[in-house]
Amino acid sequence: MLKFLKLVPVSSVMFAASLATAVAQDADAGANVFKKCAACHMVGEGAKHKVGPELNNIIGRTAGTDEGYKYSNAMKDAGAAGLSWDDAKLAEYLANPKAVVKGTKMAFAGLKKEDDLANVIAYLKTFSAGAAVVPAAESAAPEKPAEEAKPTETKAEVAPVAPAAPAVLAKDVEVPTHGNLHLGRVALPEEISAWDIDVRADGVGLPEGKGTVSQGEAIYSENCAVCHGDFGEGAGRWPVLAGGQDSLTADRPEKTIGSYWPYLSTVYDYVRRAMPFGNARSLSNDDVYALTAYLMFLNDVVTDEEFELSKANFLEVPLPNEANFIDDNRSEEPQYGVKDEPCMNNCMEGKAEVVMRARVLDVTPDKQDDEDGGAASIE
Amino acid sequence: MRPKSEASTAPGISRRRLLANSLTAAGSVVAASAMGTKAVNAGAADPLITDIQDWNSVLGEGVDAAPYGMPSEFEKNVVRRDVAWLTADSKSSINFTPLHELDGIITPNGLCFERHHGGVAQISPADHRLMINGLVDTPLVFTMEDIKRFPRENKVYFLECAANSGMEWRGSQLNGCQFTHGMIHNVMYTGVRLKTILDEAGVKPEGKWLLAEGADASAMTRSIPIEKALDDCMVAFKMNGEALRAEQGYPVRLVVPGWEGNMWVKWLRRLEVGDQPWHQREETSKYTDLLANGKARRFTWAMDVKSVITNPSPQAPITHGRGATVLSGVAWSGYGKIARVDVSLDGGRNWQTARLDGPSFDKSMHRFYFDFDWDGSELFLQSRAMDDQGNIQPTKEALRVERGVNSIYHNNGIQTWQIRTDGSAENVEIS
Repeated sequence: MLKFLKLVPVSSVMFAASLATAVAQDADAGANVFKKCAACHMVGEGAKHKVGPELNNIIGRTAGTDEGYKYSNAMKDAGAAGLSWDDAKLAEYLANPKAVVKGTKMAFAGLKKEDDLANVIAYLKTFSAGAAVVPAAESAAPEKPAEEAKPTETKAEVAPVAPAAPAVLAKDVEVPTHGNLHLGRVALPEEISAWDIDVRADGVGLPEGKGTVSQGEAIYSENCAVCHGDFGEGAGRWPVLAGGQDSLTADRPEKTIGSYWPYLSTVYDYVRRAMPFGNARSLSNDDVYALTAYLMFLNDVVTDEEFELSKANFLEVPLPNEANFIDDNRSEEPQYGVKDEPCMNNCMEGKAEVVMRARVLDVTPDKQDDEDGGAASIE
Repeated sequence: MRPKSEASTAPGISRRRLLANSLTAAGSVVAASAMGTKAVNAGAADPLITDIQDWNSVLGEGVDAAPYGMPSEFEKNVVRRDVAWLTADSKSSINFTPLHELDGIITPNGLCFERHHGGVAQISPADHRLMINGLVDTPLVFTMEDIKRFPRENKVYFLECAANSGMEWRGSQLNGCQFTHGMIHNVMYTGVRLKTILDEAGVKPEGKWLLAEGADASAMTRSIPIEKALDDCMVAFKMNGEALRAEQGYPVRLVVPGWEGNMWVKWLRRLEVGDQPWHQREETSKYTDLLANGKARRFTWAMDVKSVITNPSPQAPITHGRGATVLSGVAWSGYGKIARVDVSLDGGRNWQTARLDGPSFDKSMHRFYFDFDWDGSELFLQSRAMDDQGNIQPTKEALRVERGVNSIYHNNGIQTWQIRTDGSAENVEIS
């Protein structure tokens, strides 16, 4: 990061100071906001394209022109039409990407807080050679006299020794009547319904709603295809969602919703609670029905594009692999509950010979950015 | 090979040599250095003794230099490491505990492996809530302050990811016990027995299952049978005496002793009592064990009896040449205590019982040692653990015969390290 800061010409810093806006820009706070972006974007030394383009020198760049990244046509067209990324345009785009570039691949719904927008742009600027950096302290409190500034001291900041005492006397605190120790308080119905969104295999927990395959397709290409591929085939190492039927006994099984998952309820539950990755809980219940219908369609579980999935018909189409799940029967294997003493001497014939070595594959990481894959993945 | 009783004391190794070695190690996977490390200062006086060193005369830093202390600067190589190709993205990924750099049974907090499904949630304890709902008499909400008013207990448990050693089903792949066995840590938890908290809400008689849910961006969920929930599970807020680390679920996590790590829900925000399991993504699509015949086992909760030799191992070769050698490792079982660990130096032909040392707790890591006099010949090191329930660690081949090679999870097969005549070590499979 420092390396980039050094590139900022002094004149541009002074220019920026006069531009300080009402919202203080804090690059350090922006680094925290950027975590929302980091699932898809890299920035800083050694940044590469991931799902989204790397963001070094984004300020001042013409949209859709970072070399080596495959942009949507919409983004390339926007650049050709003159869109380039300055503070204002970037803020507008990050607040609602699809409103600025309709058809962008970026699945992110947008940053809603003005502070977050200002801060993340300040953060990105620290990686843009031509951009100005306004330190938060400078823009927020420019009137502070220099004499008041603390002399440089390296001692770390330490929190106070004890918290402040509560305002109420201990004897006046109200004690609830429930339970054994009377701890906690009764959960309100609206609190329970806000968090209790789990759906069981028998359909218990499904909300009201509905959605069709073709509605799901539109939502999918906007929110999901960037990682999971247009047809659920998976981009890079992101999960494959469709296909793989009859592969479970093959050398390399492809475990997808259609080939492996036992229950459709899991699709609904998981998409609603955790997807899109990095923007969870942003889809409506109808959206999730539509997406689930589309995933059924991608897996040939339904074949009609006008098929509508709803709470009412949810249990009518089972997934094909349900019957192949069995309960844990490991204890039937010979290594459990062994009564006899294990062999201690001359347990095997002949001298041990190496039949396989880790170094042949050579997939053990020896540096930070080792990306070469091995033979198995855990996700 | 003879037991250590007959071996003479190893000659002193110069401090500079140790330092040089630790610097080499900083890279990561270390190639064994030449046998020269055995060198004594034959005849010549050691300048580290005869010369006055900087640290002998110059004052060091004062007490407040680091209000929260960190390891010595010479331990920079002792870190968690990841294997980038295993997962699509670091927000839903895993790294590994450096087992070969540790001793005893406790994993230091900063070295406990991480596995997240939606990144590390940063939650102020003041903003955290734990809800109990479902088949209970009174659905409740607790603050962290409430949770800390329940009677507490302290327990040491291992947490092992079900996928630990999962990359080795088809054969030797990763060269180092950090990577083959490092999805485990062993920590002393302070917290409240889950039963105590559930009793406060009152579990109804028809309540047979518990759903635990996290507050992170993956809203991690797992179904747990009520018998386990009311047995030894804990709601923990401290690890090794201090607050949970953010990456381990700060401010509060579930502890499910002996069962796969994925069930130990971090950032625990909700416990729902029900009469059936939920079949969540992490207990259907993932964490189910595909067998060779296409069937898949589900609800394979308990972690099997397992052990690994941590030293020597590929990242920790023997650098001192022949003579007195400390072989060390860890063993654990999700079914109880470790009763015994046997060690083989010849690839499973002959076995000798290792020495267990340090505290022995239920469902905790155990430390074993085998002190021997290495004659400098090639070795095939193996360890075989047995627990107090009569379970014995199988060979990898025996597991493959039963399950095939596509299970991913629950690989507790016996590990082989080849020790070459230069002291270097490699992950191998043998006939």
